[in-house]
Amino acid sequence: MKRHYRRYGIVLATGTAVIFLAAAFRPPHAARRNPTPYTLSYPAYFGNRINTTDDNPLTNEGVSLGRHLFYEKRLSANNSISCGSCHQQAHAFTDGRAFSPGFDGVFTKRSAMSLCNLLWVRHFFWDGRAASPEEQVVTPLTDAHEMGQSLDSSARKLRAIHSYAPLFTAAFGSDSITPDRIVRAIAQFERTLISAQSPYDRYIRGEYQPTVTEQRGLVLFYTNPDRNRGIRGAGCGNCHSGPKVFNETYHNNGLDSIPTDPGRADVTGMDYDRGRFRVVTLRNIALTAPYMHDGRFATLQAVIDHYSDHILPSLTLSPSLKDTANRPVNVQLTPEEKADLLAFLRMLTDSSFITDPRFSDPFADAGHHTKTDHHIISE
Amino acid sequence: MKRRFFVLVAIFCLVLPSAWAQAPQTASTGGQPAVVKVTGEVLTPLTLTATDLAAMPRTTAVAKDKQGVPHTFSGVALSEIFNKAGVTTGRQLRGENLAKYLLVTCADGYQVVFSLAELDSSFTDRVVILADQIEGRPLPAGTGPFRIVVPGEKKPARNCFQVTTLAIRFAKE
Repeated sequence: MKRHYRRYGIVLATGTAVIFLAAAFRPPHAARRNPTPYTLSYPAYFGNRINTTDDNPLTNEGVSLGRHLFYEKRLSANNSISCGSCHQQAHAFTDGRAFSPGFDGVFTKRSAMSLCNLLWVRHFFWDGRAASPEEQVVTPLTDAHEMGQSLDSSARKLRAIHSYAPLFTAAFGSDSITPDRIVRAIAQFERTLISAQSPYDRYIRGEYQPTVTEQRGLVLFYTNPDRNRGIRGAGCGNCHSGPKVFNETYHNNGLDSIPTDPGRADVTGMDYDRGRFRVVTLRNIALTAPYMHDGRFATLQAVIDHYSDHILPSLTLSPSLKDTANRPVNVQLTPEEKADLLAFLRMLTDSSFITDPRFSDPFADAGHHTKTDHHIISE
Repeated sequence: MKRRFFVLVAIFCLVLPSAWAQAPQTASTGGQPAVVKVTGEVLTPLTLTATDLAAMPRTTAVAKDKQGVPHTFSGVALSEIFNKAGVTTGRQLRGENLAKYLLVTCADGYQVVFSLAELDSSFTDRVVILADQIEGRPLPAGTGPFRIVVPGEKKPARNCFQVTTLAIRFAKE
């Protein structure tokens, strides 16, 4: 009987020891937890018509990985540029250029777009050809003259960098580094780039009293001009309406009589879309010069001058910019009105957006990228 | 000789489909004919051309322009299009079908909504049309070839231009 107990005791002790040892030496992936859902925070006045997908739910870990990949230069063919090269936080995720050089120094055909409040965008690029950030991300990564590298090559290169396996594991549950996961993570990060702390936001929330000139600019911005009734207005709000300061529409805004870039017509093949481009948000607009799809206007002043005085007629000119006789509406703002409008547009600058550490380059202080990297591109 | 013939036939079969596949791209550079798609909660999805609309029962609707000047538009009542597509109208427009709406999408991305009841003759005498003519002439470039005309509406914001899609949807809340 006693021997029996002893035997049981030995078995029990051995079993416990085995369990203990297994616990102590279990591989790290056995300890993994599910990624934490990311809490999107935005004002109610933006509305909830947001571009998310059940296929790619936002998680803290996914967004963090996306941020690393957004600033990862090894996603370009010669390790010279990242998404962040043309989309710099200080410029509200533009680069201050009309056109941007790709990894090979060849310039893009259209100006780099600001990445701001993309959560409410449903058609990406100037011509609206991509329906989601996931679809959009693939183009700059793989375009022969942008980052110039296949997603398979990118995945292969990332697999050789040991720091990425834990990031992929945290985000997606295993250390498998795939093209699909690269795309998903960057798309997640892009959705988090929300700007809602400008003076205009504080004004909407009743926390900021605009200056006299800002107030006049605000009224001008949203008022449609009516010569017959002597109403002065710039009529900007027809296309840049509401707190998001854009409508998801395409317009020919009178830049050229014969558009040199087909714009939306490239996607639809329709004549009436010739020279139409997506209406972009004016949030942080003071930071995103030069302006228009081809960066033709160096300053906001030049943009205001265009809408005030230089709208050109064409077959597809936006109805919002035409009078009933089909002529361009050039509202001819006074210098003072233009200054007021400019003051209002500057109210849309969100200084916290361009300094938010959640959106910044995680490699900036780590010496991850050598300074010489920045000089590889011929300009 | 026979073998050469078969080789020729094989080459022909290989080349022809790729030529076909390229055809739409070539056409797109010269501009494609405009159509209106009727999609969503329909029994028969439609792709309506200008010819299709011309062959359907026609009606007119009057609406004012921005300056308050009335114009007569002609086209096809949305209810006619709904009947052709198999949308729940008339006696079928009850119960859960009252939670359906029409989402109109225009070429420039502009969108407006009507509840089905707003467009149904058993609910209202107002006839909303998909117009293709103004004062007997084709709609001008910029608003045509197809637009919505809502008679009697105080604001013209739902008289939208260059309609590309009529989608019937269920409110899913």
